[in-house]
Amino acid sequence: MKLSELLGKLSLNQKLTALLLVLAFLAIFMGDPYGKSRTAIETRELALIVQKEVDHISVEDLADWIIQGRADYRLIDLRSEEEYNTYHIPTAENVPLAELPNADLLRNEKIILYSEGGIHSAQGWFLLKAMRYRAVYMLLGGLDEWKHKILYPVIPTNLPPDEKDKYARMAEISRWFGGAPQTTEAPERAHTITNLPPPPPAAAAPSMPAKTPAKKKKEGC
Amino acid sequence: MNAPFYKYGLFNDEVSLIIAVFIGIGFGFFLERAGFGSARKLAAQFYFIDMTVLKVMFTAIVTAMIGLYYFSVLGFVDLSLVYLTPTYLLPQVVGGLLLGFGFVIGGYCPGTSCVAAASGKYDGWVYLAGLFAGIFVFGELFQLVEKFYVSSYLGTMTLPRFFGLSYGLVVFLVSMMAVGAFAAAEWGEKKMAVKKAEERS
Repeated sequence: MKLSELLGKLSLNQKLTALLLVLAFLAIFMGDPYGKSRTAIETRELALIVQKEVDHISVEDLADWIIQGRADYRLIDLRSEEEYNTYHIPTAENVPLAELPNADLLRNEKIILYSEGGIHSAQGWFLLKAMRYRAVYMLLGGLDEWKHKILYPVIPTNLPPDEKDKYARMAEISRWFGGAPQTTEAPERAHTITNLPPPPPAAAAPSMPAKTPAKKKKEGC
Repeated sequence: MNAPFYKYGLFNDEVSLIIAVFIGIGFGFFLERAGFGSARKLAAQFYFIDMTVLKVMFTAIVTAMIGLYYFSVLGFVDLSLVYLTPTYLLPQVVGGLLLGFGFVIGGYCPGTSCVAAASGKYDGWVYLAGLFAGIFVFGELFQLVEKFYVSSYLGTMTLPRFFGLSYGLVVFLVSMMAVGAFAAAEWGEKKMAVKKAEERS
């Protein structure tokens, strides 16, 4: 009875302020909002993603992003530290697969995983998905594909004129990353592995001007 | 069903743009209703005559904060998926001061200038033209300021992490700050009204 009388005396603003104070006070005891997330795996959703093939990024797209100097992704090299030091894709960070669950990655970041082929990155992808990371992608074909398509692409000698531009661009990208375009399909690809360019510095800032204007980030205000 | 809806794949890029249009119109509508389409009302803030801007903005902040906090504690919103603007401390301090200068000189902030332009105010259109001219000049000069633009990077920093406090406590402290600011604003407005009346007589 007394409470209702008191409430009657208050203006709407005062009532709302009182509500704010009550909620704010209770908040002290309610705990961490980041801790209450589900950990279950949405198996159907995962299967759907795999089936739709929206979970990977092509080496060509990644090369474009690196050249444009985009910073809205984290590129993770899942191989061992030794292999990472021998060669890694520019802008990549080294997180061996075993340490992936403890890595300093935020769940709202766009994360691209790669390994030598595709198996480790697929396993890492599943691991992060199970931990409810949303934007996790695999580099399609891994480092093998990167070597064959970006670093040492095969450029045929007698090109039809309408394809010249395409191959010229491929060669340009290859040289930019320190690779060398091949003129013919080499019988053995083994030499490409020993011939790798020196590993780029950890925070390699691409100095070449962007070929295409960088895409606007989708988020933020 | 959990939020953020976009991150959970409830709709795609195109639909998110359509939704953004509606939210934008709603935002503009409420800014206009709060009286923020008038440069006089906004400028009055800086003379401490009319503290509506502070009250509306701080109310919006605490409402969003309380809402997000409780929704996430209840498990409806996954806060770790909500986008946070990364903190570049020094450039953002300078940017904030620049925005403040522009606000005092022009009588609008970027959002309210759109509202003013939409409600047919000429100064709003002039302000908008200046805004786009500024964006263009900034874009052209970007290479000169790029180093500074990305300096003092703190990552996606939040108050609880920066001060090492619990989230709930920060919610409480910010709410206290808001209530204090509301009380001070009301008190100041009354003082200024008395002073004005005295000046007139």
